[in-house]
Amino acid sequence: MTQIALSNLGKKFGSFTALAQMNLTIGDGEFVALLGPSGCGKSTTMNMIAGMVDPTEGDIRFDDRSILDVPMSRRGVGFVFQNYAIFTHMSVRENLAYGLRAQGVSASERNRRVNAMADLLQLTPMLDRRAAGLSVNILQRLAIGRSAVVEPAIFLLDEPLSNVDAAFRSVMRSELKALQRQFSQTLVYVTHDQLEAMTMADRIAVMDHGKLLQVGTPLEIYNNPQDVFVARFIGSPGMNILEGTIASSDEGKLVDLASAGRSAPLALSDRAASQGLPEKVLFGFRPEQVNPDPNGTMALPVNFVERIGARTILHLGGDGLEAKAVLDNQIAMPSIGDILRFSIDPKMVRLFDPVSGIAIGGDI
Amino acid sequence: MNGVSVKEADIAVLPQDNAGSEEKRLGFWLTLPAQCLVLFIAVFPILMQLYISMTDWSPLDGIPWYRAYELWIGFINYTDLASDSRFWAAMWRTFLVMIVCVPIQFLLGLGLAVLFVDEFPGKRWFYSTLLIPMMVVPAVAGYMFFLLFQSGGPVNDLLSLFSASPVKIAWLSDPSLALVAVMAADIWQWTPLMFLILLAGMISVPQDQQMAAVLLGASWGRRFFTIVLPRMKTIIIIALAIRTIEIFKIFDTLYIMTGGGPGVATETISVYIYKVTQQDLIWGYVAAIALAILIVLSVISAIAISRMSKGANAR
Amino acid sequence: MASIRLENICKHYGDVVALDDVSIEVEDNAFFCLFGPPLSGKSTILKIILGLETPDSGSVFIDDRPMNGVSPAQRNVAMVFQNLALFPHMTALQNVRFPLVERKIAEDVIAARVDEVTKKLHMQHILHKPPSQLSGGERQRVAIARALVRDPVAYLMDDPISALDARLREETRVELRRIQREMNQTVIYVTHDQEEAMSVSDQMAIFEHGRVRQVGAPHDLYDAPASTYVAEMLGAPAINLMAAGGTALNAGRPVPQQAVQLGVRPEHLRVLKDGGNTQVSAIEPMGATTILTLKAGAETMKAALHGQPEFQVGESVSLSVDPAQIHFFDKNGDTLVAV
Repeated sequence: MTQIALSNLGKKFGSFTALAQMNLTIGDGEFVALLGPSGCGKSTTMNMIAGMVDPTEGDIRFDDRSILDVPMSRRGVGFVFQNYAIFTHMSVRENLAYGLRAQGVSASERNRRVNAMADLLQLTPMLDRRAAGLSVNILQRLAIGRSAVVEPAIFLLDEPLSNVDAAFRSVMRSELKALQRQFSQTLVYVTHDQLEAMTMADRIAVMDHGKLLQVGTPLEIYNNPQDVFVARFIGSPGMNILEGTIASSDEGKLVDLASAGRSAPLALSDRAASQGLPEKVLFGFRPEQVNPDPNGTMALPVNFVERIGARTILHLGGDGLEAKAVLDNQIAMPSIGDILRFSIDPKMVRLFDPVSGIAIGGDI
Repeated sequence: MNGVSVKEADIAVLPQDNAGSEEKRLGFWLTLPAQCLVLFIAVFPILMQLYISMTDWSPLDGIPWYRAYELWIGFINYTDLASDSRFWAAMWRTFLVMIVCVPIQFLLGLGLAVLFVDEFPGKRWFYSTLLIPMMVVPAVAGYMFFLLFQSGGPVNDLLSLFSASPVKIAWLSDPSLALVAVMAADIWQWTPLMFLILLAGMISVPQDQQMAAVLLGASWGRRFFTIVLPRMKTIIIIALAIRTIEIFKIFDTLYIMTGGGPGVATETISVYIYKVTQQDLIWGYVAAIALAILIVLSVISAIAISRMSKGANAR
Repeated sequence: MASIRLENICKHYGDVVALDDVSIEVEDNAFFCLFGPPLSGKSTILKIILGLETPDSGSVFIDDRPMNGVSPAQRNVAMVFQNLALFPHMTALQNVRFPLVERKIAEDVIAARVDEVTKKLHMQHILHKPPSQLSGGERQRVAIARALVRDPVAYLMDDPISALDARLREETRVELRRIQREMNQTVIYVTHDQEEAMSVSDQMAIFEHGRVRQVGAPHDLYDAPASTYVAEMLGAPAINLMAAGGTALNAGRPVPQQAVQLGVRPEHLRVLKDGGNTQVSAIEPMGATTILTLKAGAETMKAALHGQPEFQVGESVSLSVDPAQIHFFDKNGDTLVAV
């Protein structure tokens, strides 16, 4: 039960900056996902919290106490490795008891806690089996149990589902989430899979190139990305981003998208209106917001149709003006080569600065 | 964890991919010539020795080896061997070298491996330097140690620094000290090999498992004894077995340093065989000794292999 | 390119039945997917088509020619492996050229062929790099190009993109499909990701324990599964199966007498906020859709709703469904044709 505060945290490896100016407070009992592509600094951040890597600047505090001078064996951090790092030369029981033994807990107390943990995680039937050769979901439970039994202040999970088959991942996801609810522990979860972050985390911290770009609940991040990278990274498929030019019409400002047509008049927030708009913008909209409409002001050719169960992904455009649309299967589907005419609800449009990539005016 | 499905839990337990029995048969026929050759190479010398060991054959008798049956004496060589005190003394000396040298080499090698598994400045240089003794030709090493342990040699000079009066120990001609000098040479020459094997084993212990142990609160010692050493089990057995067997082969270094002397004070089993072969020329008897050693070494190897397969199952 | 036909293939490994009477027809220029859980026989099929394994009985036909006794090399079928199997000591270009150089083809023919393929795959800018300097997707392209230059009669791909991360997989599968269309290739593709299988294939065969359970176009299998097995294999979240005659859901039409289970896809459930007998037990907002876990008596169901509707955990709701969207299954799990 611990709050983690990262302030101005940074790490350089030689001249390479792995992480810069990271500020993030993770609340007591919160499930926070550090999300980003490989090399974005998420694992470095996690390793610094665990004490495997020392920061080159900034501070890490657990409940207002700096832990930079606490060695990693005493930080009280439960760490679940990507491949679980189970001690395969030991039995399941010895694995579970390892941390308690290391901390000198008495034999009777140790037995009690190991048995209770095994019960909780349904590991009792295999307690005396060797840990080698167990299936992946049992290894996951064992890895979590092994950390949980010493009652760590916080849990860190490093891409625990990346070695799991696609078909089995959703089962593992719900299992993980159920476990977190049981332990109600502060939990930091590193992943590159936006779906895992969206479905499990209370809050998501999106990172890229060693920088924290946005922190928020899954829906905040989905609905109001503060950065064009975040917009593209979140969602499946991610947000469509088209280059456009601001133009004026009788009903107000709109975005000219060259061969793709023009947007409907923008519903600008007061802030965006007062800030003024740059001449060039990045015009963003979610694929599911594409509204097939014979009177729509925008149009793009369909160059690929991907039907996946309940939904269909249309791949639109080409050469610089590419977008995707997600449609329900119930409607009549265009075929490759057709021109899809569509409209976007102005309230669902997000604009970004083409130079900085930052969202214009926050909520439009 | 209610509502969690366990039905796919057994997916990971894969059945072995049994290749078709047809293919196995084909494989057998294709490799048959090679198997015959291997069998011949391995088995023929043993059978020949067994045969010779049942005779009183000597090259001086002037009959070829395959007619040695004319001198058939049955098991007499073996009964002689059982009561040959010089043989047993040589065996005992070999054993003594083994129980002193192998553990020292192991502990030194392990200690060095622990040092070298982490980075430190100048590591590459130290590493190369450490491996030099292994590259030295044993005969040359014998000569080096022969010089070192002369009564006016550097070892005594070194000891003199810590002593009030000049040390003049006659290492190689004192029956109680000659073996110590021989052991020192062996330890010098073969600790690097032990170190090399153990370092390779130590590096292959998964880093994340060691990290996991530390994050669970394990001290350095606990991590070392519960994760690192157990996971090195196979490689430790290999290293110990190699060195144990090699001790029986100590010859060149020792022969140059002491020639097995003074008297028979450093006569290990290989030196004894050499003397019986080259000086006494009773080759039927030599064959019997050789077979006896082969049996001892086979037992050592069998123990090592069975331990190793247990270690492998644990993985 | 070629058509490939398997007739009554059986294969045993000792006591283990790997393939049990499998018959499949892959049309010329089709993208055909083999889909099923691990060890259901998909990879064995590939080996049999390649000629690396001999079936116990049954035959493989390529363009209606029986392949009995034809060596793997003579079959001229290309394989893209899961681990790509690129040569790490060669550049991308050398990797791509390799199959042609090995066949001692004239240098100008090689150059022309390599040029054509690498242009189509938009990979000319990476040709000078060794595999270690390429991204996962680029390495993928090199492996595909290496298979393409040979101009084989068909491509077999064994889960070729499973090692890529989620976003790249979504892009690469479309890319693969495009290349297959543009170059008019016959592809047989193994995967265990249902979304990928549905995305890429013209036709797919669903496997269980060495048997083919159903073959068809992905959307036909999705809309009209022949069994609970097929119904559950496709779709995420998976189809809701519940006891027929239960009270969780009003079928709205007569339930066939033999029906033991009925199935409704999560996207076909309508959730009404009217305080019914169903409780919302979990909410997963995913942006474009929201997944609700619902408890009605003993049944647990999932509903996939559009957008981001507001619900509370514990809220009482009622469910409805378009009767035409209900699947009925008998005691063997086979679909009952609607009454």
